[in-house]
Amino acid sequence: MKISLPEILLRSKEGQFMEEKQFDLALFKKTQELQKKYHIKYDPGKPLDTEGDLADRIYQAGVELFTELGTFCVTTNRVINVSEKELFAAIDTCPEEIELGQGNERVKMGHRDVEGDQQVVVVAGIQTAPYSDEAHMFMIYKGCAMDRCVDGIWGGILLKNDGKYDVIAGTPSEIYQYRKTVEILRKAVTAAGRPGLITISNAPTSGATIAMFDEEMGLRRTDYMESTGMSELKVAYDDLNRSAFALAHGVSIHGTHSSTIGGFSGNPEGATITAVAGSLQLIAIHFADSFRCGTVDSRIKARQSRSQLWSAGSAIQALSRNTKLIVDGSIGDHPAAGPGTKQYFYESAAGHIVSTVMGGHSTEGTRKFTVGNTCNYGTPLESRWMGEVCKAAVGMDRKTAEQIVLYLLSKYEDHLMDAPEGETFDGLYDPKRMVPNQHYQTLYDEVKKELKDIGINFID
Amino acid sequence: MEIENLAEEHKQILDSLMRAIVDIDDEKATTIAEKIIEQEINPSLAIKYSISNAAIGIGEKFDSGEYFLAHLVMAGDLMASVGKILEQNIPIETRERKKVAVIGAVQGDMHTVGKNLVATMLRSGGFEVYDMGVDVPSMAFIEKAKELGADLIALSSLLTTTMPYQKEVIEDLAAMGLRDRFKVMVGGGPVTRSYADKIGADGYGKDAIEALEEAKKICA
Repeated sequence: MKISLPEILLRSKEGQFMEEKQFDLALFKKTQELQKKYHIKYDPGKPLDTEGDLADRIYQAGVELFTELGTFCVTTNRVINVSEKELFAAIDTCPEEIELGQGNERVKMGHRDVEGDQQVVVVAGIQTAPYSDEAHMFMIYKGCAMDRCVDGIWGGILLKNDGKYDVIAGTPSEIYQYRKTVEILRKAVTAAGRPGLITISNAPTSGATIAMFDEEMGLRRTDYMESTGMSELKVAYDDLNRSAFALAHGVSIHGTHSSTIGGFSGNPEGATITAVAGSLQLIAIHFADSFRCGTVDSRIKARQSRSQLWSAGSAIQALSRNTKLIVDGSIGDHPAAGPGTKQYFYESAAGHIVSTVMGGHSTEGTRKFTVGNTCNYGTPLESRWMGEVCKAAVGMDRKTAEQIVLYLLSKYEDHLMDAPEGETFDGLYDPKRMVPNQHYQTLYDEVKKELKDIGINFID
Repeated sequence: MEIENLAEEHKQILDSLMRAIVDIDDEKATTIAEKIIEQEINPSLAIKYSISNAAIGIGEKFDSGEYFLAHLVMAGDLMASVGKILEQNIPIETRERKKVAVIGAVQGDMHTVGKNLVATMLRSGGFEVYDMGVDVPSMAFIEKAKELGADLIALSSLLTTTMPYQKEVIEDLAAMGLRDRFKVMVGGGPVTRSYADKIGADGYGKDAIEALEEAKKICA
């Protein structure tokens, strides 16, 4: 049985008081100790752990980190501690399978094994990105939803209220705009002939996120609520507001946490241990049924560097081998390169192959890592790619995946810091026919052929 | 007195202090700082030479990937404690005042990584930093900056929907007749230099290293 939300809140009030800096430095010290204790070592020559023994040690280290250090509540400056016994009880309570979506679009999202042939759930779409106007938003959402490669679509945000007013987090404008946006999302998936499709969205504040739930025109109980753990091993009450609503409303909770290479976890080994511990935090403190286990790098604006592939991949493998939890990997979600470039597809493929092979789903959308205020920065084609790659990687073994990933890395890793910006929707698509322009379609076909030639069996 | 005019033996002591800080060797750095006082080496020169150069060395190690955020924090703490030992032996009227920065993620924004990096870089670069954390209301930045007599307000935003709060701080400062009293620097994933210029910020950093350079420049 999981610890109750009121008990978690009590611990967030009565746990050890600490300055945030003390917690950060304690995390650093502990991750360095644990990597020595459990002999965890990153070898850049092997971006995937193809054996698994290491993953088991990473899991043990993650459990030890979470149960000994705890989670820092930034709202109260207190540490929330969960014992090993309580953690394992929480893990045992978690579902091995959940169902998302409705009608013909209902899908089962279950625990996946490493190299497993279980179905991978793909929620694509240009995650949380800004759109210039309702027409573009509707058109792009609909285009993404029409593609049978994807099981769900992420929402974004219209940049301006009524075309001219700023949308500001924490103000009524945020609730107004996110609510309006999710209605467009619902209309678009219905227009695409998939009214029951999984739709996901997440606003900066819990108030606006909760306001998007509406069985008729918004997010539904059969979608999931995202509850984010702050980097690293931290939580704010605003995150738990989302969990509280979801628990009361009967919505499945999807946690996300990313550890930081170069941050307080230190090296890739430390970030890997923290990625596991952060995932356990999502289970025990955020009440997640499924969760995204990931890493970011403090120096690189992408998620697919060599060390990130190893780190996130190893953490996902650690959880997939040692538990029956529902893990989301989504490593390929945010390339450094922009849409309309080969590099975008290479990065996306590398990340999604590692996620899938290590036992993860991919439900965090796909877009350039940094989009800023650039509107309509993506097309349905990147979503199709995400779906095609994830589904082709189901059942692939780690050694094959490693060879493919090494090839892909050779194509992009020297260009993560100066990645091409790509183009927005208008430069890449024919809006009347809703198909990629010839140049973009040719580029897509070339990359797909290239990857077929190196061993990816796409399901045509 | 400049470093060139220092006796070789004393220069070596200042070099060893710099190395001890770069190595984050608390005990050694403290011992050397005390030795500097005992041997009556100019403490202002030690701050200017050893600590300033150590900050550069630490920044380089971070940039190359050898050091992580935790090292920056530890090095920042060490520089502060060594600086205090040295500073206590400088007459108050001749002490160089540290530039004071107030930093935080703006209202509605819970992202910490970039903000922590910049705060730590500013500390290692000699700023006295007051980190207000995340989700900080615009007026709280202004009140804290007034209270501390700050030189710089640094505003982090990782979301397009929280960027307007960077503008709000600048507008509120202007409305309160305080715009000229503080330099304002902005940064974060979606923030660009052109946006910084558009909202009337004094500075912008695309990453933590650039943020430190920019902060030094605009607060000079």
